[in-house]
Amino acid sequence: MTIPENTIALGKEVAIASIDKELHRLWEQDDARTNASLTNLAVYSEHPGGLEKNTQIIQSITREHACRSILIGMDRESPETSITAWITAHCHLAHGRKSVCCEQLSFHLTGRATGRLRNTVFAHLNSDLPLVFWWQGELSDIFSDRLYTLINRFIFDSAEWEKPAEGFAKVATASQASRSFFAFDLAWMRSHSWRLSLAALFDDPLALASLPKTKELNITAHRNQRTTALFVLAWITQQAGWKRSLELDIAADGDVFHFETQEGSEVVAKVSYDETSPLSEVELIAPNCKVRLHRNPDSEYLHQEICAGDHCIGQRAPAGADDPAQLLTDQLALGTKNTLYSKILPSMLELLG
Amino acid sequence: MANTNPFREDLVTRSQAAPCTVVIFGATGDLTHRKLVPALYNLAVEGELPPGVKIIGFARREKSDEVFRAGLKEINPKVSRSGHEAKIWDPFEENIHYHQSEFQDVDGYQRLADRLDEIDNGRGGKGNRLFYVASAPEFFDDILENLKKVGLNEAADGCWARVIVEKPFGTDLPSAKHLNEVVSRTFAEKETYRIDHYLGKETAQNIMVLRFANAIFEPLWNNRYIEQVQITCSENLGMEGGRGGYYDKSGAMRDMIQNHLLQLLSLVAMEPPTDLSADGVRDEKVKVIRSLRQWDTPEKVAENVVRAQYTAGTVDGVSRVGYREEDRVDPESMTESYVAVRCMIDTWRWSGVPFYVRMGKQLPKKATEISIHFKSPPSVLFNSDSSGTPGGNVLVIRIQPDEGISLRMMSKIPGANLRLEPVKMDFHYATSFGKGSPEAYERLLLDSMAGDATLFARRDEVEEAWKFVDHIERAWHESDNAPPMAEYTAGSWGPKEADDLLKQDGNEWRRL
Repeated sequence: MTIPENTIALGKEVAIASIDKELHRLWEQDDARTNASLTNLAVYSEHPGGLEKNTQIIQSITREHACRSILIGMDRESPETSITAWITAHCHLAHGRKSVCCEQLSFHLTGRATGRLRNTVFAHLNSDLPLVFWWQGELSDIFSDRLYTLINRFIFDSAEWEKPAEGFAKVATASQASRSFFAFDLAWMRSHSWRLSLAALFDDPLALASLPKTKELNITAHRNQRTTALFVLAWITQQAGWKRSLELDIAADGDVFHFETQEGSEVVAKVSYDETSPLSEVELIAPNCKVRLHRNPDSEYLHQEICAGDHCIGQRAPAGADDPAQLLTDQLALGTKNTLYSKILPSMLELLG
Repeated sequence: MANTNPFREDLVTRSQAAPCTVVIFGATGDLTHRKLVPALYNLAVEGELPPGVKIIGFARREKSDEVFRAGLKEINPKVSRSGHEAKIWDPFEENIHYHQSEFQDVDGYQRLADRLDEIDNGRGGKGNRLFYVASAPEFFDDILENLKKVGLNEAADGCWARVIVEKPFGTDLPSAKHLNEVVSRTFAEKETYRIDHYLGKETAQNIMVLRFANAIFEPLWNNRYIEQVQITCSENLGMEGGRGGYYDKSGAMRDMIQNHLLQLLSLVAMEPPTDLSADGVRDEKVKVIRSLRQWDTPEKVAENVVRAQYTAGTVDGVSRVGYREEDRVDPESMTESYVAVRCMIDTWRWSGVPFYVRMGKQLPKKATEISIHFKSPPSVLFNSDSSGTPGGNVLVIRIQPDEGISLRMMSKIPGANLRLEPVKMDFHYATSFGKGSPEAYERLLLDSMAGDATLFARRDEVEEAWKFVDHIERAWHESDNAPPMAEYTAGSWGPKEADDLLKQDGNEWRRL
């Protein structure tokens, strides 16, 4: 059996049969603590070391989102079938007054596991609270109807997928199969602050008036964030009402697409890739107006810029999260509303090719 | 293409704030330094402030832009919810300017108009304007009339000009009507935002969600199941910081009940609105205020209202002087520092249900809450011998501090005997949502930039509330048989007379 190397952070190892009893004991130790939970948050990883890494992430997430977290580390290649469990709690001082604690249950499973995941691990959900399931990495065959029919909010990061089209197809199947299954892509979430800031720039009447005359649209993203960049492109073009023209060039150093505005003028959209921030620039250029959002490497802020004629406005806005813990925290704060994502996804899949 | 920003569609679930210039009248005051500018700064931190928003502070003292900015910068780190970061403050500060003028000087307004035109020209033509009247109330008329004289009340095509008016919105019904007339001669009602910062508080906004998004409460929300409602605003401070001068002319009834607490009452008692539009909600709220039974004779006031002043005592272990010994308070003052009112709402839903509203200074702690007391179950089975045990369920909505909701219910004490005890299900915002709530002013400023007046008081709401309050004030101050002024010791929960008010109905105040 392969046990994670450093299990100290995972807390106390407990027998599966006595998890509830041990959790009860954990709370009996200190009356001053408040046990809080708004959701069940399951985090699934098939990466070695995933349990330890995700414990750190949960420690951060529970500062803002009280939840019962269930970490699942899976080693499907192991010939031996086993399951090991640990329990711990993450405590924070809420507004400097009260110690608020959230339980964490960690499971390490080896061998064939689909049935055990459902029957053993999910037997420990907090009843009546929704199940948020964060899947890290490629969707494996564990992601089946036996699993996703239990899930209320399914969170994944399409930027991690080698074959995003296949991953999106699996998620679409799950969405169609269960009315209570809502999918959330962290790649889409990663573009959230960019979309907000870009929308804010187009509140300026001059910028808004220049939108139909746009000639160039440039997006720069990190090489491993193609889906994030394409989500931004799909969102801009769909919201602006631009139609894809048949002309398609795949440039050597990025993607090039051609669109037509509602007024019939042509827009060349270029997506370039580099090694800096997940997204580092979005720029729309019209004859008399340039709208630009950019982010310097490692900066926490986006620079918003409109230059029209001889006047320029500049302002800073929060760049949003890069690290997975903050991304997930932001995603959880948005609740279950997902209409814009659902609306943009088909256009993005079309760009993905 | 339409004039609407297509990128806003579906992006956020609320109306969108538009770029504008915010002109604050009374810019050297505490409100500007401690609330308004920090709120705008926090909006910038959150990325919620539209790009290009300019702030112009309008006040009488001579000051340069630099001195004005330096004063704001000094206070901001102490009061800002999200701290102070130079990277955000520095570009934010560049958009803050100072405009010196007397409030009565029409030339000062003309110079302001020129300055605003200059800003708009720099932006390529037209711009939105938000005028925030945060000055002392005696200048409201001058400010509004002078804005009109120089045409600042009118917006360019496709733009808007709005006014936010701070409380007190009048001191009685005639003065409120006068002010409303001045405002309505200057700005259309839909461009007028009468601020009541209680409505910007997260828990106040949650009252409608609690009532109308949860199927379990609304069927019980009526006189068949609810015995009484209590709304309490308790303050553990007195007249610190020279506040006595203002307060002694106002009193608890005018300062808190007429606006904040009657607004909370209307949210609790309103019928479901047909939609969540500003007028949809305010139509229902005003019906509640209009349905308040009027205490229009001294006898009715004596029967249903208690006023009191605190005498020397101890709060939080610190000795406090009596109200009449406070700085800037008339030693023979007849202004109440405490008031308790039995409100009756003459509607089908609330007939016979008393709404007890109380507000007091120098009480043991700072807290604002609404408690809904449900009727006790029949005295059979478990309740046949429940003397001494409070039997009814109580739903408490805590407005501040420690925002949250709790529900008291009966439970069996473990053991062989059948004994019951009340237990509490408790929801704390801070525990469940670690992220701090935005300050009320942040939400309200953003809403006014977005043209959403839902959380602002409408003219008829204000006037109806004054009508209710004026009867009581007249009985206290103008009648020959004025109801007496009671006393309570600072640090106590109010006068005995307020306890007696509830005892007449067989009720008692909830212990906070």
